[in-house]
Amino acid sequence: MPETVDDDLFEKLQQTLESDPNNPNNHYNLALFLWKKGEESEEREESKRFKERAAEHFLTSAKLNPNEGAAFRFLGHFYGRVAADAQRASKCYQRAVTLNPEDSEAGEGLCDLLDGEGKENLVIAVCKEASDKSPKAFWAFRRLGYFQVHQSRLSEAVQSLQHAIRGYPACADLWEALGLAYHRLGMFTAAIKSYGRAIELEGSRIFALVESGNIQLMLGSFRKGVEQFSSALETVPNNLAAQFGLASGLLGWSRQCISSGAFGWGATLLKEAAEAAKACTSLSGNQYSAWKLQGDIQIAYAKCFPWEDKEDSPEVDEKIFKVSIDQWKNTCLLAANSAKCSYQRALHLAPWQANLYADIAMSVDLIYSMEEKKEPDPAVWQLPEKMCLGALLLEPINKEFWVILGCLSSNHALKQHSFIRGLQLDISLSEAWAYLGKFYESLGEKLLARQAFDRARSIDPSLALPWAGMSVGYQDRTSLANESFESCLRAVQILPLAEFQVGLGTIAILSGHLLSPQVFGAIRQAVQRAPHYPESHNLNGLVCEAQSDYQSAVTAYRHAKCALAIMPNSKADINSHLADVSFNLVRSLCKAGLAFDAAQECEDLKRKGFLDIKGLQIYAVIMWKLGQYDSALTIARSLAKNVLTMNQTGVAAAIGLISSLIYSISGKESAIAVIQKLPGQFLESDRMRLIISALSALGPSMQLQLSLPSMFQTVVSYGVVNEIHSIIALSKMISSELNQDLRIDHGVNYLRKVLHMYPDSSLLRSQLGSLLLSRGDRMAPHKAVECAPLSDGQTAKPGFKSPDVIHGAAVVSCYACRSTIPKFSFSTCPVQHMHQKSRVYHLQRWLHREPWNRTARYLLILNLLQKAREEKFPERLCIILKRLLKDALSNESYLEKNKQCQYEKFILLLSASEISLQSRDFLECISCAKEALGVNPLNTEPFFAHLQLCRAYALQGNISNLRDEYANCLRISTTNEIGWVMLKYLEPSCQLEDSSDAIVVNLQKCIERKGNSSNYWVGLLYLACAQCFVWAEDYVSAEQALAQACAEVDADSCLLLCHGVICMELARRECVPQFLSRALSSLTKAQKASPTPLPIVSLLLAQVEASLGSKAKWERNLRLEWSSWPPAMRPAELYFQMHLLAMQSSAVSGQHSGVESSQSPERWLLRAIHLNPSCLRYWKVLQKLVDS
Amino acid sequence: MKLAGLRSVENAHDESIWAAAWVPATDSRPALLLTGSLDETVRLWRPDELAAVAPPSRGHALGVVAAAAHPSGALAAAASLDSSVRVFDVDSNASVTSLDAPPSEVWGLQFDPKGTVLAVAGGGSASVKLWDTSTWQLIATLAVPRPDRARPDRTGSGKFVLSVAWSPDGRRLACGSMDGTVAVFDVARAKFLHHLEGHHMPVRSLVFSPIDARVLFTACDDTHVHMYDAEGKSLVGAMSGHASWVLSVDASPDGAAIATGSSDRTVRLWDLSTRTAVQTMTNHTDQVWAVAFRPPGGTGVRAGRLASVSDDKSISLYDYS
Repeated sequence: MPETVDDDLFEKLQQTLESDPNNPNNHYNLALFLWKKGEESEEREESKRFKERAAEHFLTSAKLNPNEGAAFRFLGHFYGRVAADAQRASKCYQRAVTLNPEDSEAGEGLCDLLDGEGKENLVIAVCKEASDKSPKAFWAFRRLGYFQVHQSRLSEAVQSLQHAIRGYPACADLWEALGLAYHRLGMFTAAIKSYGRAIELEGSRIFALVESGNIQLMLGSFRKGVEQFSSALETVPNNLAAQFGLASGLLGWSRQCISSGAFGWGATLLKEAAEAAKACTSLSGNQYSAWKLQGDIQIAYAKCFPWEDKEDSPEVDEKIFKVSIDQWKNTCLLAANSAKCSYQRALHLAPWQANLYADIAMSVDLIYSMEEKKEPDPAVWQLPEKMCLGALLLEPINKEFWVILGCLSSNHALKQHSFIRGLQLDISLSEAWAYLGKFYESLGEKLLARQAFDRARSIDPSLALPWAGMSVGYQDRTSLANESFESCLRAVQILPLAEFQVGLGTIAILSGHLLSPQVFGAIRQAVQRAPHYPESHNLNGLVCEAQSDYQSAVTAYRHAKCALAIMPNSKADINSHLADVSFNLVRSLCKAGLAFDAAQECEDLKRKGFLDIKGLQIYAVIMWKLGQYDSALTIARSLAKNVLTMNQTGVAAAIGLISSLIYSISGKESAIAVIQKLPGQFLESDRMRLIISALSALGPSMQLQLSLPSMFQTVVSYGVVNEIHSIIALSKMISSELNQDLRIDHGVNYLRKVLHMYPDSSLLRSQLGSLLLSRGDRMAPHKAVECAPLSDGQTAKPGFKSPDVIHGAAVVSCYACRSTIPKFSFSTCPVQHMHQKSRVYHLQRWLHREPWNRTARYLLILNLLQKAREEKFPERLCIILKRLLKDALSNESYLEKNKQCQYEKFILLLSASEISLQSRDFLECISCAKEALGVNPLNTEPFFAHLQLCRAYALQGNISNLRDEYANCLRISTTNEIGWVMLKYLEPSCQLEDSSDAIVVNLQKCIERKGNSSNYWVGLLYLACAQCFVWAEDYVSAEQALAQACAEVDADSCLLLCHGVICMELARRECVPQFLSRALSSLTKAQKASPTPLPIVSLLLAQVEASLGSKAKWERNLRLEWSSWPPAMRPAELYFQMHLLAMQSSAVSGQHSGVESSQSPERWLLRAIHLNPSCLRYWKVLQKLVDS
Repeated sequence: MKLAGLRSVENAHDESIWAAAWVPATDSRPALLLTGSLDETVRLWRPDELAAVAPPSRGHALGVVAAAAHPSGALAAAASLDSSVRVFDVDSNASVTSLDAPPSEVWGLQFDPKGTVLAVAGGGSASVKLWDTSTWQLIATLAVPRPDRARPDRTGSGKFVLSVAWSPDGRRLACGSMDGTVAVFDVARAKFLHHLEGHHMPVRSLVFSPIDARVLFTACDDTHVHMYDAEGKSLVGAMSGHASWVLSVDASPDGAAIATGSSDRTVRLWDLSTRTAVQTMTNHTDQVWAVAFRPPGGTGVRAGRLASVSDDKSISLYDYS
């Protein structure tokens, strides 16, 4: 069918043409039709025929309308492709382009033709013309851009290409060319972007991938570069440039890793790099750069391959160790040798490349150093020197070759000459200065060395060697250890070289930085890179020991010993090292608790005669730990013989050890005897002072006591003075009589005095806090809190409580209580409820800081329990507490048989029981209490568990069980007064016939035992009695009890208030006026005793006064009552009373003196009703008022 | 004219083999093949079966880059990358002398046809050094002058003499350099004659035709082999076909053919009458660093032998007929 359609069209076109043969368009249309037919036709001849016919019509069309570009274009196509008449073709194209510069087909055709003839300049001229004529002649810009890139006219090229890209934004070639132009111009970021666009458009753009990878490498982003090369290799696996780039990218990346100390990572990267380099050299064996790269990779591998300790056990087998060291050495050596071969291949390919000689020289030097050849004869040319000289012969003005020669040479004169020659070529060559410094240092020319290092450092501070060199001076005290450490640390951080790292470790010992993580990391790296070097293992051991990781330290020291054994050094040299390392090993073993192994090592040392004074000391301690006291004493004796030969610090340590040993083995008498025999100057050390004060605290020996005061005059250290004072405080507490409790008060008094002298000593403060807490005084906790200020992050000395604990405990020990409704809550605590909330927050903060801290959790629970108790156990708190308790009790550490743990568990169980009791879950309560009884640690009285059971049974109404438990309580008894008071409450519930005075008697005993004169507890007991009587509605007895309580306790407003209330109640009930007067006196006392105006007291007093008929006093007291309430908390009744008062004062008009007159009686009444509308009384009064 | 593979020894050395030379036959033994390698050894092989004659002889600190044998067959010299030339007795492997040169100033070497002079390509010194083989004294240094049109180069002298060859009559000496210049010297007057032009890349090997003292063949990194009239200072012909650098060239004793070894891992035999490659041997798996025809002479054997050594650590022996 299409044929017929075509034929129809053809006939139509033909007809149109015939109808108007002079219309160029008709010719053109027909020609176009024929041309298309020709294009479609598959047969060559036929196609040619069609095109020839088309060309005729195009020609006519062009003749008729010489301004029609399209016709010329097709003519150009015809002459160029069909008739092969290049000249005509180019003329036609030219015409077409001139007519329409945007005609890309004609333009490209023309340029292709001209290009084919090699007329580059003409092409450029055509393109220029077209691009000048029309900014939309994108083809011309494109062509021009390519040419300009080719001719390195880059900035023009960038403009042309950018313009062309506007026309062909999806042309990857253009983007690539633009990238190249930017690349050559040095605009790397722009180049990367352009290449990236090309890659985006066409993922398989190898050139763009490789070039952008190269730029990434140049910019130092090796990871990105490696990615680019890898993706290039995915498309073309055998691309040399990509493989080369990949290898060098990986090499650069691994260098970054290595310089940051990640040797293992670097090694794996280098392995990959080596594979890529191998692929490179097998792709093209005659590229010397590929071989050099391979050599570089191998050298880097040899320099970074880390040694790993494959053994896990702390036992170190020397053979296995040696094998593993040998394996490591072999790997490195193999890599170095293969590097040497690769460099030689490179050199063989390009012997005129001077740097290859230097590379070979360095690789040979590395191999020599690994093989640990003997010191070469400086008079004979060594191979590295010779090869380096080769490089210099080729490039005598290369300053770096001079430096390399200087480094590799073993001849002093040549070394110095080389460095100086290098410096002559470039005075600011920092490496040359640095190595010159090192050279002078080795010659012992300290001053020259320092100057050289100084220069190197000021020229290039990022060079490691001068920093390392500057740190050497610490030995001859020319610089401080700290300064040295800083310098060396910088060197290590710039360049993680094993030599620097070992040096850093050595300096760290002197400057006390062994615990710093930088040193730890450095030494670990040193072990990786210099496992054959005993010092690195030894330092590793020291670092581990400093971190209290004794097992690792022991392993490290054993490694060091093995390394020493396989060192090819002279015997004497090794022996002194061996003694040092063994000594370290013994010490670590001892600290790790492996006393038996340590003893064996010691004996070994002794056999070899290495046991010096330090060794003897440790030996003595080990023997003591092993329980072989005799040998320990023997060793101590032999140590004592050597004392005179030691220096000052050694003497102090030795004497201290001897006296401690004697004390531990033979007791304090012999220790005192020994110390007394010692000459005075031996006692001058801090350690001895502490020992003497401790001993004198333990036993009164007059001579020692006498020597104490003189101590303070000579003691220098502030900390030591504090410690001595702390010991003295302890000694004050120890009474000379046996079987008596510690006399805490004495200690507290002493500490107070001392604290006056040393107010900022945290040791003394925390000790005082601890003592105050344990004193059991009612007010002590608050004082404890005040004297132990919180300081975050400080740890207390073991034995004393940390400020955190003191603060937590202080709240627990406060007996203050509040009512459920905060509105009516008035703290009875004299210290005004010591920021309760902030305490709980503080404890939470502490727990957040140390979530593992059991004590923090424990104290938080107790604090919350206390809070719950104060607020009468609100449900919300109970739920929280239940959860916390469950969590805490499931803590594994409570499974321990530790006394403290057991005690805490006991308390927690009681708390759980209490919470259950409060939520009326008696079964749970009883089970918890019984569990607590089961825990029953040695030192805690099970009394409180029984008491808890009593309370549970009492609430449950289980009389028989209650009686049993009550009896248990009485039988077991407690030294805590509160226990008896609590028990008193339960007495009535037991319904015992013979209410004995057992509780009172017991309580008295308690109080006497403590030597506490305060009768506070007796008062409380009477209060409890009174409460019981009130419950039994025996108000007379209650009044008696309360009267007794008030008599026992001096002026406690609460007790007095209670007494007053009971008296009033009695007066109301029995109408006995004497009670009224008692109430009056009690309430008046209460009013006076209270530090702040106590509410209710005045109201009651007013009522009493009113009952007694004193109206004036009634009024005065009512006004007092008004003012003693905080404004927001005033109850309805108070308003009602004020109404009465107002009524009174309004009756006696003219006296507008009190508050009551500020408002009318009705208003007072209305406000009372407003506050409490449910009180009928108010309503009635209101009605009366309204009625009247 | 063809080559037939006779024998190939894999792993003849521990590392790449870089140098090969035939030691002429003496009365007591046939001609031997001398090879030098990156593994820092020189080894001797008895032809046809390629059996090792003696244990590898050490004495070099770095890879051996060139080897040459004295025409008498008694002595041989080997040069290594550390620029030492070791002259040793072939049969006893005893060192005769060690010629020390500054590093980077030794590369190729060649004894003159009479055996009185050893010519050493002087590498970075841009010269050829002549050593008297009886006293082992340096007798002359033939410096290669800088051609006027020489490219400016950042390296010291801008030249690195890689290869050296004697004309069969011993009157002329030619040397090839890294920049492609080939210099011809008059040995008797110790005078530089002229450059032969045409190469622009390193000329790693050159050899005079054994039958015509004017004809010089050069192997160059530009993948071509040139044939010069050394006296007439003109390029006679060029032979192309290798895909990569031509590393070595040797002329057959009958003067009718040359063999070349190349980076493209092949050995080619060229017919000089047609100047085409008549045969390409592809038995090596890495670049072929040296090819050497056995010199005529010796007990009875007239058959031609060609040896080639390569980076793949193997030696191949071919029958040339």
